[in-house]
Amino acid sequence: MIRLALPAGDLRGPLGDLLRRAGLPVDEYAQGSRSYVVRAAPEDGIRLRVFREKDIPIQIALGNYDLGICGLAWVEDLIQRYPSDAVVPVRDLGLGYSSVYVAAAEGDSLAGWAGRPGLRIVSEFPNLAEAFARRLRLPAYRVFPVWGAAEVYPPEDADLAVIAAKDEDEVRSQGLVPAHRLLEGSAWLVANRDSLAGNDLSAVLEPLLALRGGGDGPPALSLPVASAVGRMPSGERSSAGRKDVVRLALPDGHQQKHTAAALAAAGLRISDYDGETAAPRPRAEMPGLEVKVIRPQDMPQQVALGHFDLAISGRDWLRDHRYQFPASPVEEAVDLGVGRYSIAAVVSEDSPARNLEEALGQWQKEGRGTVRVASEYVNIADHCARSRHLPRYKVIPISGASEGFVPEDAEVLIEGTETGATLAANRLKVIERIFESTTCLIAHQGPVSDRRRRLQAEVVEMLRRSAAGGRA
Amino acid sequence: MADGDEPLRCRGMRDLLPGEMARYRQVEESFARVCGEWGYSEIRTPTIEFLHLFTATGTLSPQMLDRTYTFLDWDGWSGERVVLRPDATIPAARLYVENLPPGQIARFFYTQNVFRFSTGEESREDWQCGVELIGDLALAGDVELILLGRAVLERLGLEGLEVGLSHAGLVRTVLAAAGLDAAAQVTCYDRLLDGDLTALAEIEAELPDLKAPLHLLFDTEGGKAAYLANLQAAFLSAIPGMAKPLDDLEKICATLDRLGCDYQVQTTLVRNFEYYTGPVFEFRAGGRRVGSGGRYDDLMALVGGKGVPASGFALVVKELVSRSGPSPATGGDEAHWVVRPAGDDPDLLAAAFAAATRLRKDGKRTSFSAPSGEGGRWELTVGRQEGRLTYQLRDQRTGKTTSHGSPEDALIAAEATPDD
Repeated sequence: MIRLALPAGDLRGPLGDLLRRAGLPVDEYAQGSRSYVVRAAPEDGIRLRVFREKDIPIQIALGNYDLGICGLAWVEDLIQRYPSDAVVPVRDLGLGYSSVYVAAAEGDSLAGWAGRPGLRIVSEFPNLAEAFARRLRLPAYRVFPVWGAAEVYPPEDADLAVIAAKDEDEVRSQGLVPAHRLLEGSAWLVANRDSLAGNDLSAVLEPLLALRGGGDGPPALSLPVASAVGRMPSGERSSAGRKDVVRLALPDGHQQKHTAAALAAAGLRISDYDGETAAPRPRAEMPGLEVKVIRPQDMPQQVALGHFDLAISGRDWLRDHRYQFPASPVEEAVDLGVGRYSIAAVVSEDSPARNLEEALGQWQKEGRGTVRVASEYVNIADHCARSRHLPRYKVIPISGASEGFVPEDAEVLIEGTETGATLAANRLKVIERIFESTTCLIAHQGPVSDRRRRLQAEVVEMLRRSAAGGRA
Repeated sequence: MADGDEPLRCRGMRDLLPGEMARYRQVEESFARVCGEWGYSEIRTPTIEFLHLFTATGTLSPQMLDRTYTFLDWDGWSGERVVLRPDATIPAARLYVENLPPGQIARFFYTQNVFRFSTGEESREDWQCGVELIGDLALAGDVELILLGRAVLERLGLEGLEVGLSHAGLVRTVLAAAGLDAAAQVTCYDRLLDGDLTALAEIEAELPDLKAPLHLLFDTEGGKAAYLANLQAAFLSAIPGMAKPLDDLEKICATLDRLGCDYQVQTTLVRNFEYYTGPVFEFRAGGRRVGSGGRYDDLMALVGGKGVPASGFALVVKELVSRSGPSPATGGDEAHWVVRPAGDDPDLLAAAFAAATRLRKDGKRTSFSAPSGEGGRWELTVGRQEGRLTYQLRDQRTGKTTSHGSPEDALIAAEATPDD
């Protein structure tokens, strides 16, 4: 059986066509099914599974899949951090062409950046960003990995963003200036090194390698070189000076609807941000309140850093952050009481276990040496595994599409679940509820100026009153 | 799902069992003794340091940085990364900058581990015996370090000792004269180290005034003081910047000649091109590199201090251990005493522990053993007869047993017994 990992998202359409042209049994995938587990007839000898693109190199490296298809940037990001890992780029498929740029809010040469201590770089590709910073010999740089929306961080919340874009025009259309192109390429067929060496993958490799088109050069990361050896000139930290304003981060995605409703109920009027649409920098009517839209996953760290005074995020992400950094100066200020779901340990419905202890006993009886815990919440999963005294375990980071992981690619999933309907539809069940998460206002604990403190207290109070009223 | 047979030890990490540990300890102790005799003091720096100490230009090379173990600490929410010490010199420089008045001469030594990722089963944790000499001692400092390194290796009984000598400024001035900027110099020098001699032709093309081929400089090993004179004659008119490095080397060589310390000048032995600024040296034993060092005058400023000249070296403990002769005696079973109680009532246990303490006080290697344990040369069994404690001494070599009224009497009896 050849295990093939395919990407969800924009690549799905063109890739489905390409795979069909190659004669591979991917009708369900090509038709754009929302399902993550694509049924292929066993006689085809292929097992397909759809992942978020970012997760595909990790799954290939883990050996859970023999072959995968994803954008080159995700492969390079993994290889930069784990150069000896088991991921081998096999062929450029010529689809979904994209580049990775280092971009800044204002034009500046790389030589200018090179001398600046404490440069902040934000990216969904943290390892490419690290490689860039190391090669440029940046003194005391910081790389902030984010789940998305990296382009909105400069200049206030980062000096540079490492982002994927079709071309320089697309970078500019996001209000940034491209400073350096790190990588260009399209989607690649990648393989697990051991699978390539030991398994017959020809049923997939042969038709895909026979296809015409696609690039043929090996992928190469274009890193800059430090322009000067010697002591870097010391410079001012480039963070935008703090204004006399309170900065509030609002979420996009699932929490957007709840958040927009909570803000409206509290009387906090914000234009360009409602249940459906969100501008990157919505405008607040309240004087002195500055708003930006970023991913809820990234908010606790951004608040801890002091980039934002307040943010509306989920308790799940706050707790994930606090498990990683127990001393972080960010706390829950108001429970908005909406967007409620459980963070739970989830296993296959076929498991006879009724709780985590029974599941552990079962896995031990089956002689499983390592328990694989898959989760978007890496630190919650790690904390759960440690505090429940799991024996040897691995936390497999995933960025979504989690329903299909258990039981083939993980024993247990740490997952948010609202009604349990999605789990049931995927033949999964909850064996332990870890905690309840709701949408919360989170705040920085540190000292702020009097004016900002008053303004911050006012925003907190408006949301608190509104939340209390909603619960009454 | 992984099976249950995965190794429990992390890849690239080593256990040292008692025999090997004794050899490591012997190396460490010999090293520490020689350093002490030369006026050096021991330091120890933390295992975890801030990453930024190592990332600025002139500290670690990008290739080395790609192999560091970096992570966010539990309070690393600010994004400040820390690193498992990948190099021992930079932390020593930080220690100096943070704790000593600038310019004060400091002689440090340490035995520390460094962590660098390697593929496969290659070691990822290596122990180094390192020495740092900080302060403006000019070339006397370099000579002192070369002699100290040799003294350590001689004390360890290493055979076939050789000292290689070079100067980081030699290569740098040639490449700079050819118009290469700092980054291009690193790339070009890497090519030369890899044996890519086409790089030589490219450099020569940029130096039209050159009167002699560059392979005289890059492709010659085993030179003595006369070789330096030849280099001066060949290159100084075209590359005047070589005068200072050649002069430095000449003085070091002349001093070593007078001391009868053999050496070989070899320009390409500079490994970390960005790190070193002056004379560099390498220690070899039986043709294998066992340590290296050199001058790094810019480092103190790079880690945030005032510019203070410094140089140092590190010896690779693994190499020293494998070449430093047989394992030392560990006190062995020959001299070993085993004390055991004849039962487990508290009076007997206490008397047996007290007897063991008495023997150790007398310098005897003594283990406490349960009633059924194995014995050493001497076995002392503490029992009770007619309400009084008795001390049965058994010579394991002859099987002869004698009874005594105190541990002291047993000790006297043992010492009165001939060894054969």
